[in-house]
Order: sequence, then C-alpha cells, then structure tokens
Amino acid sequence: MTTALLAYQSALLLRSQRWLAPVVLYAAVLAVGVQGGQPVLDSLGYAAAGLLPVGAWLVRICVANEPSAARGCTAAATAPWRAHLATLVAGFLATALLGALATAVVASVSDGASNDHRVRVAVGPAAGAGLLAMLVCALVGAAVGAVTAWPVVRGTGLGVCGMLLCSLLALVVPGSPAGAAVTALITGSEQGVVPVPLLPLGAAVPTVAACWAGACALASRR
Amino acid sequence: MRTADPSAAAPHRRLTLRGVGRRYGIRGPWVLRGVDLDVPAGHLVRVRGANGTGKSTLLRLLAGIDAPGEGRVTGRPSRTAHVPERFPPALPFTVIGYLTHMGRVHGLARARARDAAGQWLERFGAAHYANTPLDRLSKGSSQKVAVAQALLAAPELLVLDEAWTGLDAAARDELDRAVAERTAAGGAVVFVDHDPSRLAGVPDAVYAIEGVRLRQVRDERHDGGGGVPPTRGHNGPRVVIEVSGPDGRAPDPGRLPHPHTVTRVDARTVRVTVPASHSDAALRALLDARPPWHVVGVRAASPADAVAVRSERP
Repeated sequence: MTTALLAYQSALLLRSQRWLAPVVLYAAVLAVGVQGGQPVLDSLGYAAAGLLPVGAWLVRICVANEPSAARGCTAAATAPWRAHLATLVAGFLATALLGALATAVVASVSDGASNDHRVRVAVGPAAGAGLLAMLVCALVGAAVGAVTAWPVVRGTGLGVCGMLLCSLLALVVPGSPAGAAVTALITGSEQGVVPVPLLPLGAAVPTVAACWAGACALASRR
Repeated sequence: MRTADPSAAAPHRRLTLRGVGRRYGIRGPWVLRGVDLDVPAGHLVRVRGANGTGKSTLLRLLAGIDAPGEGRVTGRPSRTAHVPERFPPALPFTVIGYLTHMGRVHGLARARARDAAGQWLERFGAAHYANTPLDRLSKGSSQKVAVAQALLAAPELLVLDEAWTGLDAAARDELDRAVAERTAAGGAVVFVDHDPSRLAGVPDAVYAIEGVRLRQVRDERHDGGGGVPPTRGHNGPRVVIEVSGPDGRAPDPGRLPHPHTVTRVDARTVRVTVPASHSDAALRALLDARPPWHVVGVRAASPADAVAVRSERP
C-alpha cells in the first residue's frame, strides 16, 4: 500500500458521501444511549460497542466504492493486494477518527464517577481507556468488514447479513477482543476502576492482520 | 553509439507467461489454459479472438490484476498500466482530480501528476473537460480519461483492452501515436481491438485465442516478412522520411521504432518508410541520434513508393 493509494481511497470515501449513513446512525445510537451526567466508563463502553458494526459498514463502503474497472486500473498500477489493502485501511482510519470524536464527546458530557456515583473516576484516564477500547472495536470492525465483503463474500445480501451477524458475535462471544474491551470498561464502571484494555488490543491486532491478509490475498483470485 | 536509442537504456526484460491457466470460481471451467507467451521490452503484441473467448482475462493476467490459477507469470515491469474495456464514470472526482490521483498512484509527485494529466488531456482533445465531474462525461470522453490515466506515467507495460472503442477519429490516431512512442521508448504494449486494421502490420507478434489455448498467428494483414510493405494499401497510411547522413550510412535499424523499411536513394540519402502512427517516434529517433541525421523531407507515402524495398526490421 502506498500513501498515494490511501489518499485516493480516502478522497473516494469522503467525496462519495456514502459515509453519511453509518455516521448518522452512530450519532443516533449515541444520542439514544448516552445522556449527560451518566458514568463515563459505562457510556464509553456503550459507545465503543456501537462503533464495531459502524466500522464494519465503513470498510464495506470503501471496498464497494471503487467500480471494478477503476479497481483494475489501480491494481495494474500497484498490485491487487496493495489496492485492496488501501481500501481496508481507508475504512479503518475513518472509523478510528469517528471513534476518537465519539470518545471526546462522551467524555466531555459524562460524569466522572462509578455506576453508583460513590467512587470518583478521573475523566482523563477514563477517556484514554475509552480510546483504547474504541481502537479495539474499530480494528475488529475492520476485520469483520474485510471478511464479509468482496472478494471474500461476493453477494450483497449474504455480505450484509454476514456483517451484522459477525459484528454481533464479535461483541458477545467470550474471548473476543472487542467484547473483552467493552466488558473491561463496563466492569470498571461498576467498581470505579479505570481499566487499561491492552490485552484486547494485543489480541485485536493479529485478528485484523489475519483477516486483512486473507482478503488481500483473494483480491487477485476472484 | 547506442546512447541515442531510448530502448538501449531500458533493461532487456521480458514479461513471460508459462503454462498459465485461469478460471473463475474453484470448480469453474478453464477460460485459459497452458498459455505460453513472451512480451519482450519494446514489443507491440496483438491478441485476437472472438467475443467471450478470454481476451480480457488474458489482458488482466498480463496487467497483474488477476493471478493465474496455474502456471507462472514473471518479469512484469513495476510501471504497468491497464485501460479497461468499459471505464466507469461513477467516480466522485473531476477529470483532473481523478487523473492527478492516478498519476500519484502510478508514482508521480503531485505537481508532476497534475502537469502530465493536463498534457494528456490536451493531446486527446479533452482539455476543456478538465474540471468536469466524471459522471457528467459522455462515453467517448470518459474513454479518453481511461486512456490518459494509463499513459500518465510512461508505463513500461501498457495493456489496452479495446481502448480505441468510443474514441473519436483524432483521439484514435493520437492513441496510435502514443503506442508508437511507448514501444520506441522501450516499453511493451499488448492490445486487443475489434478493428482488424488497427495498427495493421505494426505488431511484432499476433496471438489468437483458440478454445482455451493461445497460439501465435501470422498477421493476416501483413506480408509476414517484416517491415512495412508499401504495396499494401490496407496497411494504413504511411509516411516517407528522407534523411541524409554525413557518411551515407543507413540509420541503425535498432534505433528506429519498428516496423520500418529503409531504401537507399543515393550515396548520402536514405528513405525511411514508417506507419503514419510511428512517424513522430521515427523522426525523434533520427534527430536524437548522435551524430544526428539531417531530415531532407517528410511526406505521406504515395503509390509511387511501392517499389521494391529492403526490409530492415530487426
């Protein structure tokens, strides 16, 4: 992947305006679930969980954004796997940016306290833990998006159903990095302790690397 | 003394396919199988075949867009460009915006990419579309964008899938000239076109897809002996360049974009006959030679030029 490819894919995503739907949906999810004065870690956990399907959707949009003939031009100029990796990275970076914005908003409106409002929770470290959890969910979302879109899954219906199911499973299956990161925030909020979800982050990186490697390897074989 | 020849500076590499096969899906029927093909640097290769026989599949394998299901593809240059059969206008960019992005993807710096984009749009008579959104272009104009993105960065391998289709006559001739420039500069060009007279007599090799196999065939519009047969009217327009040299040598054929024929006029003057599409590249090679050739005259070939000529095709 080159910076030129990433700049091209990011411009493609930005100018296509297809990012609007997932971003508006995520804003709605936050507006419903996050109220001012609620415990900060609990709200960040909710926001991080919501980011995972949004991230999968953004990656899916990036992959579908380039018509196949135009993809042929970029693939010939670089390599099919590079061109595909650039689409995945563009989708992930958009998700990470959205997650960082959401963390800032949620941390600024929430109350620095545990669920029962007895233990003080420092908002700064809590926002840091929230950022880590957002990163984990963005990574896992990008992995889900990569394996439920072209070239792994070609049909739109199958792809979208797979994306929704995998997003749900990635949050609830025990041992999943995204689920672990969200759970760490929520239990931290109950106890009034700011967690550092580095272990989920360590597990999310190889997960996304494996999923992306598989998708990129298939890019020239479909 | 070969320094004036641009191809001399290029590495003598060739794109090679050995036993290449391709099918879609794990158990799909083979579209191509057992394909052996060599595309040396500086060569022009034509691929023929009826509709749906796998021409586009072969071109995608050559361009590196698809990987072969079996066999090996080696020696593909890093600067490869592909012009697809149908270029989609469904991209949210202006013409110049898209071409600048593609120039950067091809490895040019931003300012250089923008300059090159402007130059190629001008060559194809599309400079006034520069700020038009791609989705407002006609089919012909959008094909000009597809061709321009491929030529931006002087590709070492240019793969043209019906690239002339939809272009107006002037743009088709310009693309012929661009192909001549690429091969003269040591790049390889592989093309498919439904028009049998496209660059007739010019390709170094012609292949036909028969069934799932690829077979080298003689260019049926070509005398088969190399060179440009001036007697064949259907080989397209040709240009005669008369040049004189200090010692009356014939130009080194290796320096001239092939195909061409060289005839001696007198002790100091030789007559070089090239396809009209190659005249600019031939003139450039003659003028860039050290010591340079003096161009005595340039004119369109007439039937009177249909005299016995000596082929100098390398």
